[in-house]
Amino acid sequence: MSRVFDIRQRMLLAALLPVSLVALLLSSVFLMGRLGDIDAAHTQRARMLARQLASASEYGIFSANIGSLQALAASALREPDVRSVVVLGDLGQVYARAGKAAYPVLPALGASEREWRDERSGNDIMVQPVTASRIQLDEIFEQSVKAEPVNPQLLGHVVIEVSRKTLQSHERDMLYTGLFVTISGLLLGAFLALRIGHSVIQPVLRVSRMIERISAGELSARVSVRPDDPLHDLQIGLNQMAERLEQGRDELEQRVEQATLALRQKKEEAEAATMIKSRFLAAASHDLRQPTHALGMFVARLGQLRLDEEARRLVMNLDAAVLALQDLLDALLDLSRLEAQAVHVDVRAFPMDRLLEQLQSALAPAAVEKGLRLRVRPCSAWIMSDPVLLQRILLNLVSNALRYTRQGGVLLACRRVRGGSHLRIEVWDSGVGIAGEHQKDIFREFFQVGNVERDRSRGLGLGLSIVERTARLLGHPLALCSRPGQGSRFSVEVPVTASVEIPGTPQDRAALRDDIDGVSVLVVEDDRMVSRALQELLSSWGCRVVVAEGVLGALHAVRSGFEPEVLLCDYRLRDGATGLDAIALLREALARPVPACLMSGDTDSALMILSREAGLPLLHKPVRPGKLRVLIRRLARSGDEPVAVLDQLKGDGLA
Amino acid sequence: MVARPAFAQRWAVAIVSSERGGAYEEASEALREELARAGVTRAQVLELTAADLASAALPEVRLVVTLGTAAAQKLARWPAKAPVLCTLLPQVSFERVLAESGRQASAQFSALYLNQPLTRQLDLARLALPHARRIGVLWGEQSVRQKPALAAVARARGLDVRGVEVKHPSPVFSGLKQIVEDADLLLAMADPQIYNRDTIQNILLTSFRARVPMLAFSPAYVRAGALLAVYSTPAQIGRQAGSMAMAVLQGAALGPVQYPQDFTVAVNVHVARAFQLELDEEGLTRALKQQERGP
Repeated sequence: MSRVFDIRQRMLLAALLPVSLVALLLSSVFLMGRLGDIDAAHTQRARMLARQLASASEYGIFSANIGSLQALAASALREPDVRSVVVLGDLGQVYARAGKAAYPVLPALGASEREWRDERSGNDIMVQPVTASRIQLDEIFEQSVKAEPVNPQLLGHVVIEVSRKTLQSHERDMLYTGLFVTISGLLLGAFLALRIGHSVIQPVLRVSRMIERISAGELSARVSVRPDDPLHDLQIGLNQMAERLEQGRDELEQRVEQATLALRQKKEEAEAATMIKSRFLAAASHDLRQPTHALGMFVARLGQLRLDEEARRLVMNLDAAVLALQDLLDALLDLSRLEAQAVHVDVRAFPMDRLLEQLQSALAPAAVEKGLRLRVRPCSAWIMSDPVLLQRILLNLVSNALRYTRQGGVLLACRRVRGGSHLRIEVWDSGVGIAGEHQKDIFREFFQVGNVERDRSRGLGLGLSIVERTARLLGHPLALCSRPGQGSRFSVEVPVTASVEIPGTPQDRAALRDDIDGVSVLVVEDDRMVSRALQELLSSWGCRVVVAEGVLGALHAVRSGFEPEVLLCDYRLRDGATGLDAIALLREALARPVPACLMSGDTDSALMILSREAGLPLLHKPVRPGKLRVLIRRLARSGDEPVAVLDQLKGDGLA
Repeated sequence: MVARPAFAQRWAVAIVSSERGGAYEEASEALREELARAGVTRAQVLELTAADLASAALPEVRLVVTLGTAAAQKLARWPAKAPVLCTLLPQVSFERVLAESGRQASAQFSALYLNQPLTRQLDLARLALPHARRIGVLWGEQSVRQKPALAAVARARGLDVRGVEVKHPSPVFSGLKQIVEDADLLLAMADPQIYNRDTIQNILLTSFRARVPMLAFSPAYVRAGALLAVYSTPAQIGRQAGSMAMAVLQGAALGPVQYPQDFTVAVNVHVARAFQLELDEEGLTRALKQQERGP
């Protein structure tokens, strides 16, 4: 608004200032002039009156005709403003007097005319000498011895007193008139300035408002064009400009929309392609899991038979192949879980030592087998991390190191860094090393340096990818330092924390029942091959096994008096039923929360989330006999505390 | 080269004017013309002003003619051998010059008056205003000396002079009023104390109001409102002075003081009409001249 006022004020100033100045100047000049004029006229009139009277009195004084002088004085007194008239002789004798003089005493009167203002009365007093009128005569007769007087003969004086009251009232009237005219002029000027200013400012303001609206993005703003407007052309131009701007913007928006649409289509296509790929992968792994599961079972069962040496070697090879197959499927499962962010992170304080011990015991056999030295340097620090996920990282790193080292050894060591606030866990190897250009790629899925032929014995190429994703999930910085031929050092940094007292773990109670001998297990599985394999395997471990193909069969078995200690249910059952439904029905029928476990060939992340929400461990097919055995043992021992078991199982890398 | 003059003396006549120009020039011109007609060339006439005499010596001449009162005053005290003819001055002025210088009018120092003889004035009064019997006169301190002469001349013509003396510096009005109430004609006598440019208008006004016409001594008075005047022009004076000078040059002695012979009568027609008079300047002049020459 201040800007608006500014324009208005300036317009007003520009219009009013000259008008005011001119009005004031003119009126003061004219007023002064007029006042001077009437003053001069007044004085002139008084002077003329005095002169007239003087000349008229000449003969009266010459002839000492007092009567005529008195008449002259009286007639002069009748003139307006004349207050008194005195006619004096040459010796100062009063010949005639009219009116009452306001002045006290007359000064000495000379031969020249005089005028002054009486201080007391404010009247003008005019003194006019009366002289004899001269007529040119013959000089030769006039010459005399005495010098001729230069001045004409002084006969007397006329004194007229003139009041200034009328003059002053005239001057006052004139002043008032002048003031009135000036003020009227100013008012008229102001009125005109406002009117004209308004007619100029309004269009400017309209244009300004329109430009404000346009600058605020409202391109549809138009200024109303009036034919008598002083800014007519400008307004038309502005409207055209706004129209073009609007058109341009609409065109741009249209293009952006088209481009967005095209991009979205491309994105949808890409997503669809990815989905198809994922679905294919999931389907393929599911379909692979079922037979691999069964195969594992059969091979385990086969190993329990009495065989000759050659057949045993074959079985061992077969077992190794199945194991590799199961490793591959496990790794794929891990990746898909990480990708789905279905991994639950449980960060807590725990001693590093325990983790190192577990790693040592888990990996020492592989090192020995390969003829390498695995050294684990003890560490007393407590760290803040998820023990399960961190163990998986280190397990992968150390297995990787062992895999790529032909001779020498692998060192697992911890070092405090960042002023002791963090612990850097380092895995050193004396392996082949990694060239600089590959150091980024090795964290990608299925990337293996120098394994174009994809030799199975050299791993799958998924380990480092899993490590990288898990470390990112935990927020632990992962680093690699390596040169070809000089070995490698992988390291991960975890925050250090103070030690915490550990409560007694359920593991202490685990020793109560060492084996799963005599545990009754109800298996619900619709795939006959898998169910046969499971039955044979479990039976070989001494378990009492009842197999049902569906929910109804299982309920039937329970109602016929079978009291299972552990339920083992496939997730996807016939007729659209799920393992969750089956477990719920069976628990209801048995009237207790029987420990249960789900099995699935799907690597679908939704299933993982469902099972975790239900508090059930999920076994992915193909199930390794070792894992299955551990799980059944734990479930049987936990009795009615399945949730506690879940935590435990997770600690063992089974959940 | 200028030819040597016939006379032994370089200069025959010196004309000393009181001032330059005006009446003096006119008189001087007439004088020289008159001399030239008698054979005195202009080269033999020395022209001077009274002021010139203060710085220059007057060369030897046979006659000095002064024009005006100031020149006469100057020459009255000048140790000139040549006779001096004072002219273009009134009788009262010449008499005063004589009185001041202590000289007597003689063949060495004579005058041609500017003013008219009293007889001529009174004759004119009788011619113009035959009914006028009482002649009013205001006497000033100078003119009062002519009082007896006027009385005699008037008496000879059957006229009655009513005179009032005005002493300086008392105003003229009371005397004037007295006269105009008691006279048929106001006779103005040249006397600056009474008649001057300051007083003339009021005197004329008073006489006019009293219906007493004025007989004056100069045409200026006629222009100012006097009824009539008899006077001699400077040219007329100059011519008369010329003839007097020729007589001296031809060996005669300078004669006694003279009144002008030639004259002019002037009438203010408007005033005459106001007084319901029919006056004719030329007729009056002619009649007056004729009367002087005698029958």
